[in-house]
Amino acid sequence: MTRYVMVADLRRCVGCQTCTAACKHANATPPGVQWRQVLDMETGTYPQVQRTFVPVGCMHCADPPCEDVCPSTATKIRPDGIVEIDYDLCIGCGYCAVACPYQARHIVHKRDLAYGKEAMANEDKRFDEGRMSVAMKCNFCQGRIDKAKETGQTPGIDPEVTPACVNSCLADALHFGDKEDPDSNVNKLLAENQTFRMHEDLGTDPGFYYIWDKNK
Amino acid sequence: MSTSKKIAQYCYQCVAGPDFLTVKVEDGVMTEVEPNFALADVHPGAGRACVKAYGLVQKTYNPNRLLTPMKRTNPKKGRDEDPGFVAISWDEALGLVGEKMREIRAKGLRDEHGYARVAASFGGGGTPTYYMGTFPAFLGAWGPIDFSFGSGQGVKCTHSEHLYGELWHRGFTVAADTPTSNYILSFGGNPEASHGVMGISRHADARDRGAKRVQIEPHMSVTAACSSEWVPIRPKTDPAFMYGLMHVMLHEMPRERLDLPFLTDHTGSPYLIAPNGYFMRDPVTHKPMLWDTKRGAAVTFDTPDIAPALEGSFTVSGLEVGADDEEWQHEDIQVETAFSHLVKQMEQYTPEWAEDICQVPDGCIRRIADEFVSHAQVGDTIEIDGEILPLRPVSVILGKTVNNGWGGYECCWGRTLLACLVGALEVPGGTLGTTVRLNRPATTRQASVAPGPDGFMKYPMNPTDKDNWQETPKARNGHDTLVPLSASSPWSQALGPTHFAWMFRKESPENWPEVSAPDLWFVYRTNPAISFWDTKAVTERIAEFPYIVSFAYIRDETNHMADILLPECTDFESTQLIRVGGTKFSESYWDHEGVALRQPAIEPLGETRDFTDIATALAEQAGILDRYNNAINKGAGGIPLKGDHWDFTLDTDTKHEAEVIWDAMCRSASAELTDGEETDGLDWYKENGMRTRPISRLIWYLFPEMKKQKLRFEMPYQEQLYRVGKQLGNRLHEKGIEWWNEQLKEYEPLPPWKDFPGIWEQATVNSGGDLKDYPFWLLTSRSMQLAWGSNSSIQMIDEVAKNMHGHRAMIMNAGRAAEMGIEEGDLVEIKSTLRATKGRVALKQGIRPDTILIQGQFDHWVTPYSKDNPAPSMNTVVPMSLALTDATGSSADIVRVAVTKLAGAA
Repeated sequence: MTRYVMVADLRRCVGCQTCTAACKHANATPPGVQWRQVLDMETGTYPQVQRTFVPVGCMHCADPPCEDVCPSTATKIRPDGIVEIDYDLCIGCGYCAVACPYQARHIVHKRDLAYGKEAMANEDKRFDEGRMSVAMKCNFCQGRIDKAKETGQTPGIDPEVTPACVNSCLADALHFGDKEDPDSNVNKLLAENQTFRMHEDLGTDPGFYYIWDKNK
Repeated sequence: MSTSKKIAQYCYQCVAGPDFLTVKVEDGVMTEVEPNFALADVHPGAGRACVKAYGLVQKTYNPNRLLTPMKRTNPKKGRDEDPGFVAISWDEALGLVGEKMREIRAKGLRDEHGYARVAASFGGGGTPTYYMGTFPAFLGAWGPIDFSFGSGQGVKCTHSEHLYGELWHRGFTVAADTPTSNYILSFGGNPEASHGVMGISRHADARDRGAKRVQIEPHMSVTAACSSEWVPIRPKTDPAFMYGLMHVMLHEMPRERLDLPFLTDHTGSPYLIAPNGYFMRDPVTHKPMLWDTKRGAAVTFDTPDIAPALEGSFTVSGLEVGADDEEWQHEDIQVETAFSHLVKQMEQYTPEWAEDICQVPDGCIRRIADEFVSHAQVGDTIEIDGEILPLRPVSVILGKTVNNGWGGYECCWGRTLLACLVGALEVPGGTLGTTVRLNRPATTRQASVAPGPDGFMKYPMNPTDKDNWQETPKARNGHDTLVPLSASSPWSQALGPTHFAWMFRKESPENWPEVSAPDLWFVYRTNPAISFWDTKAVTERIAEFPYIVSFAYIRDETNHMADILLPECTDFESTQLIRVGGTKFSESYWDHEGVALRQPAIEPLGETRDFTDIATALAEQAGILDRYNNAINKGAGGIPLKGDHWDFTLDTDTKHEAEVIWDAMCRSASAELTDGEETDGLDWYKENGMRTRPISRLIWYLFPEMKKQKLRFEMPYQEQLYRVGKQLGNRLHEKGIEWWNEQLKEYEPLPPWKDFPGIWEQATVNSGGDLKDYPFWLLTSRSMQLAWGSNSSIQMIDEVAKNMHGHRAMIMNAGRAAEMGIEEGDLVEIKSTLRATKGRVALKQGIRPDTILIQGQFDHWVTPYSKDNPAPSMNTVVPMSLALTDATGSSADIVRVAVTKLAGAA
């Protein structure tokens, strides 16, 4: 069995948004749509304040609410844990976007361009009509992950088969790998550090872990 | 059939570069930027590129790009004048510029005032050099050029650090030895936003291994967020905090906790100070003296086999040499060491005293002093490449507004001195310089070290003696006349008081020559019309320039006044080979050195041209093609084309294509890096991206070179600066110049605390304001996403930047805002005594209640996209003034303002 998960080390993340930008490149998301982004969060009251940068996106839950509400079965969990959307089946009803506790889903009904009037060559090149009026979200760069089966490479270790956000991370804050493999990079990180998952109490069993020093 | 390939590139949009990347090209269209992991083993940033590099695809395809040369049709210039740009051919554009250049050469390269008729301004801390191909060869071939019209430096750069850093430890900029440091005191330093890929990864690794960083600044920056502790200090009071630390170290701790051998043997601490404030010198050799405890006598500093006294009072005879060679012969007088003077000076600066000024509890200052010294591991050593060096894993770094403007001298001095007290200057784990720009040669910091007469490093101070002082400035900002520390390297003009070139254009101060407009001004990758202080005034001065040639990517506020726009190929469309490795700005510390290539990933869009081809055409038009080619042969393009065993020099009478020039450059670089064994050309680099060779990490540290040359760090006592200041005062007063008198007071041998916030408060009062009406300190802070490179006009970069709370807004303390009835998103006016700017409010807890913060410089009114996304800009409201200029010619991004909620605004 395989379950791919993401691990974000909040002690290392600096909120630079390089992962956000790299994701936009890798997945050609339209303006305003970010499958990966980093939140800038503040807690406490002056002068006892803490500011934290928190990468978010689809949590690839093992029990995802988006799947439960999907009337067309477009949203499915793959055997490797990746929550995917079949754009051919999706009817763009938006139930999943409402159901997702992580606000990870986006639906775009009309083509939006970076500079408003005129499409740039890269926008034309990568425009995909099939992604209009359907739900979109982070898919852990599943095309890369699938390539690993052909090449024998290891997702999370070999850049060619690793999500773009992880590859781009300047601080080595983002990690990706197979949680079911006891020797994997992510299992090592989870074993050695204190971690939490977002909204764990909702019972969605997210596949996105955060490393954090509870004492800080 | 569809094609897909990945092309190796570098990004050098900011001084923290270069970053490495590949850009994917699918069917001739660039689609995706990715890290270049093939270079991960040699690049300290593991082959990754910062967020800004991901904007370069949009930059290339930006529909607002200028794709053909343009000429102005409206002779009137000004913000409200439509330039009436019309498209023209390259032949016409180059012909028009050529005509102007030939006219200037016929008249003479300097005007009737002695100023160069051609001026040029480039932005980004020298980074445009990495994009302008062989244009430096054109500039070199031309002759005198005035680089002194600033585009933000002085007020936007770490200005005092540049000058004092180079004086004391060859540190044009200064950094922590982060991979080894365990305790970093950061006074407004912002490595997480400013030090790029290399800085971010180094500091993340340091945090991982438990290093502690204390961030001392009025607002909680990205760096404070990633630090162990945030100390919200009152703005511009950082020297008081440092002096409080030094009081604790010098008056409350046992002396043995300091690095006494380092102070005694590697600094000027034991030098004896005579009654008039100058060193006590040997009457015959004029060398400074110290007290030798072995002999029980004063001896010159370079006497063999001595044991100098670090502190104490001694009866000594000797010669004291003051300004303009004034001499005093002393017989059997009581003198003390420089260190003893320091100890006395610091006695008054208790933590309790500092608390009143900084609004930081005295206990916090005492604790930090103790932590700093405890982490210094005084006495420990480490082996680096076979050499045993001191290990002092504590460092101090400074940020903008701390290390520039009034108080910058005191902060740089305090920073360097804190390091010296525990022996943590230029040793592993300590505080390090990065590179040199004023001292020469600039190949390495070590190469620039040469002995001076007093046992310190020689520094190329602009002369202040009667015979050699530059009475009439050669550059319009007067750096050679007013700022001895700015030296006379190719960078010096840009490191003087660059705002004076603008200010004095309008009205020269008393007994100062008229400052003429240049006959021709070249502008590239800079936008002073929005990036300086008092941008309205700068814009008005630009509009007075008779002929402006802008190498332009898009229309902007500065080229709004241009006569000719020349569209150059952008980052991914042109060719350039640059040197990489060694040690450079920010935190670029490499274990390799070599060269890297930027290359066309696609055919240039429209009529845009490779900058090298533009430079060659301009050289031909100016009639200096042979000199231009000769300059390229000598290395003005980055690599000399001839070495001991190779010769790829170009024929000097031929107009060479860019590819031919860069092929020769590539071949010569290959030969240089392999001692002549390889001569791979451009095609090899297009495939491989870069070539490097390993170097010793010892070059990160200056201490071994200082030890080798038996030199001391010029700390703590600034006898040289004291003399230079007196002499400069004499010269200026002889000329009837009294308006630099406040600046002359900065030349203190041991700088005392001054009321630095009071200088800005007084400026508010002097300009007609009542302080109670301007209760806030307005500051700025680096946006990693938007800084440099016109990134606010790149939609994708602007989009991701907005994920950071407060971008394109005014950040304010939430509690203070509640008291004023201001809520998140409210539209407010931010007003100084100069003028006002408007913006939306972002509320935070992580900012002092008396402080507000605006990130970036966004008052665009021409730049496409940016002008339609309004944001407040502090540049609009910060006055440009002599009173706010310190002795190094810099000021700081700080001003007192009022904040008013605009009625009726949603």
